[in-house]
Amino acid sequence: MSTVVKQERAVSINPLRACAPIGAMLATFGIHGALTINHGSQGCATYPRHQMARHFREPVEVATSSLTESTTIYGGRENLLAAIKNVYERFNPTMITVCSTCLSETIGDDIPAFIDEFKGLNPEIDIPILAVKSPSYVGTHITGFDNFLKELALALPRKTRPNKRVNIIPGWVNPGDIREIKEILSEMQIDGLVLTDYSDTLDGGLYSPRPHFPKGGISLDEIKDSANALGTIALQKHVGGEAARVYKRRYGVPAHVLPMPIGMANTDRFIKTLSEITGKPVSAELQSARARMLDAIVDTHMITTGAKVAIYGDPDLVEGLVRLVVEMGMEPKYVATATDSKTWPTDLMALSEEFNLDMEIMPKTDLYAIHKKMKAHPVDLLIGHSKGKYIADEEKVPLIRAGFPVEDRYGYHRRSVVGYKGGVYLVDKITNALLAKKGALVSNTLLEFK
Amino acid sequence: MAVLKCDATIPERDKHILIKGEGQDGKCSIACNSATTPGDMTERGCTYAGCRGVVGGPVQDAIQLTHGPIGCAFFSWGYRPHIADSDFHMKYTFVSDMDESNVVFGGEKKLLQSIIEANEAFPEAKGVFIYNTCTTALIGDDGKDVAKIATEKIGKPVVFFPCEGFRGVSQSAGHHVGNETIFKNLVGTAEPEEDSAYSINILGDYNIKGDLRTFEPLFEAIGLNIVARFTGNVKVDELKVMHRAKLNVIHCARSATYVADMMETKYGTPSINVTLWGIENMSKALRDTAAFFGLEHEAEKVIKREVAKVMPKIEYYRKRLAGKKVFIYQGGPRAWHWPELLAELGMETIGAATTFGHADDYQKIYEKVNDGAFIIDNPNVPELEEILLTLKPDLFISGNKEKYVAYKLGVPFVNGHTYETGPYAGFSGMVNFARDMDKALSAPVWKLVKDMAQPVPGGLEEEVA
Repeated sequence: MSTVVKQERAVSINPLRACAPIGAMLATFGIHGALTINHGSQGCATYPRHQMARHFREPVEVATSSLTESTTIYGGRENLLAAIKNVYERFNPTMITVCSTCLSETIGDDIPAFIDEFKGLNPEIDIPILAVKSPSYVGTHITGFDNFLKELALALPRKTRPNKRVNIIPGWVNPGDIREIKEILSEMQIDGLVLTDYSDTLDGGLYSPRPHFPKGGISLDEIKDSANALGTIALQKHVGGEAARVYKRRYGVPAHVLPMPIGMANTDRFIKTLSEITGKPVSAELQSARARMLDAIVDTHMITTGAKVAIYGDPDLVEGLVRLVVEMGMEPKYVATATDSKTWPTDLMALSEEFNLDMEIMPKTDLYAIHKKMKAHPVDLLIGHSKGKYIADEEKVPLIRAGFPVEDRYGYHRRSVVGYKGGVYLVDKITNALLAKKGALVSNTLLEFK
Repeated sequence: MAVLKCDATIPERDKHILIKGEGQDGKCSIACNSATTPGDMTERGCTYAGCRGVVGGPVQDAIQLTHGPIGCAFFSWGYRPHIADSDFHMKYTFVSDMDESNVVFGGEKKLLQSIIEANEAFPEAKGVFIYNTCTTALIGDDGKDVAKIATEKIGKPVVFFPCEGFRGVSQSAGHHVGNETIFKNLVGTAEPEEDSAYSINILGDYNIKGDLRTFEPLFEAIGLNIVARFTGNVKVDELKVMHRAKLNVIHCARSATYVADMMETKYGTPSINVTLWGIENMSKALRDTAAFFGLEHEAEKVIKREVAKVMPKIEYYRKRLAGKKVFIYQGGPRAWHWPELLAELGMETIGAATTFGHADDYQKIYEKVNDGAFIIDNPNVPELEEILLTLKPDLFISGNKEKYVAYKLGVPFVNGHTYETGPYAGFSGMVNFARDMDKALSAPVWKLVKDMAQPVPGGLEEEVA
């Protein structure tokens, strides 16, 4: 029987979450030619840029309105007006996202009003300028992403003629995940609109000459057309679920808010939904991929079954990973997220009842809380982003890196954890980590016996 | 006419760019240390970043507690490799985690509670450093008062740094706050058990990737005791007694001169400026420091021995690196420290820029580069890109964010900010530095890039432009 464990401390020790602006910045990279202005202190732009550069290993450019003491006293209006003008004139972007920060929210800057004023003063500048609320003291890094998607869904789509496309909102994932989702769509011959698509802009190649804006990203025309889709599938409840409902309310596009397609059952559900919406059959290639994933779980189950695991990260990622490890016969012991979600503990409890699990479900928590639990009752494996490396090092438990950020290793942003291929990758990675740690007798081959 | 094409729409940027040449009377009249133009893709950080990230953060046995919402603590945690004997400060970050209701009703109680809980969780810590953020400064939380109450409650120094991000024009203001706060709250609050006539403090070294281990043994070998390092690999207790050192040896003059000046005024401690990068500079640093104590003979012995060890390697790299042109963009002083060590390897600095340099920093750069060199203050990404494409340096030395811009342009790059591999200071560090530059320059990938990089397929350019 699982329990929901609340954190009672005032202090957060080793937080497992970042703050909201980085989410809106990341989402903006998924629109071709779009740029972000962070309306706040310079650090509020530089820190997230630095964090993204460490994860994606790509140039990450964000402008700032550079608020200092005097602008803090007199308000940031003039700085923001100048910032929008400068960014527009210098870069000629297709769209501008303006993120609020603790600073601009606390001094009460009305960003939408400033944007209206800017448009009034500069009628010749005819690009969408989107205001996104993203103070650090509300929610987490996924809040900024989610708010961005909501604002985008409200502001840009235009209902015209049905287009037989499917809107896909992947949520906070890696470029590799988006690429995997697009491959699934292409195998099923489905025309998808990925909101938003940073698979190329943040995992781009090297081109000569360097393009003015990185290749890739969804175009504004495609975003406009998203109001005419057959349906919207949000693949994370907490990042994009609300936007999917906006599409339903505003444009009459049916909404499907699914668990993140990690593991067999969740991926099946995604593909079944795609098939139902479009009437397209599941392709032979996808059926083979599914069979390979099943094969991989069969091959490895004698090593994985019964292994205890702690999982932390964004709520939808953790929920998906829990289902996958359970499919592999593992026992999730501590499952944790920093997000203060009402639905997440309930969803995890439902999973627990479905599989008769014994987990401590830890919402709104930090890494120190997980570490303390593991000290009392050790686990065999840790799954989460790279900030958990200190726990892994100290407890000598392997860490399977997943989520954001992974800053101490290369290439994780290119990998997919979603879909059948993502599943095979995780199954292999997890199994090999357990083998490397324990040493075991497999198929009569002696491996580093302890 | 703007010096850089990309600045056509922001003409005031021109004042921040200077090409060294005739008619300047040896004076570097460049606009600097002023507010960034809004909308600029600046590389600057904030005051909090300078205080928490650079000055306070390296103190190895203090609880590093950010008073504010989560982001500032998360982003400043563990990215600067200021390593220490104990990695407590790198492994843990603490935050009072302000949420919306705390912002409305005030966060002082939560801060006090956070200090108490953090101290209970880590009783081995020797103090608590609290960093203020934009949010808690704006709502008017009295962190100084909370620190005073907390000090009494936990019986350890609780030090409040008023380093909210919107203060000042760059992270440089944070260095100042860091120096002043440590000086006022810790320096001179204890007396050492033993006193030495041959004692120094190393100021303005943050032990990036272990810099200290390259030069600390050299100072010790000439007979000097190091009382405190400010603040790489330092303990709270060492900061308390640093006023007893006989001399302050300042490495980073931008970030640590403040504390040296305050110590001179209050304790009469003299100081000298040194550069601990490069063979000549390191030798001079040892000589100058030794001369103060009358230990010249010992210094010469150490210099002779150590230089002999590294010179064959330096010679090897000098042959490979000579004639290469370099553009340096660093936080502050490295832009004027490094032209000399590059010159030692036969390389030329054709451009230098800093994120937060002040007038004196730029004057030093000016004096160390040749006519025609490009000097730029607080450059933004389009400017950096244009400089790399038009100046065509063989090598770009900067930090992590700029690294990938350089890579996309096919320009060899060395991370001078947090270093590629291991320490760059001192004699042995110079070998590492030369090796990394050689690796960057001679990697076969650049030939692949030149021969094989393709234009963007699909002509996306026209769609946008």
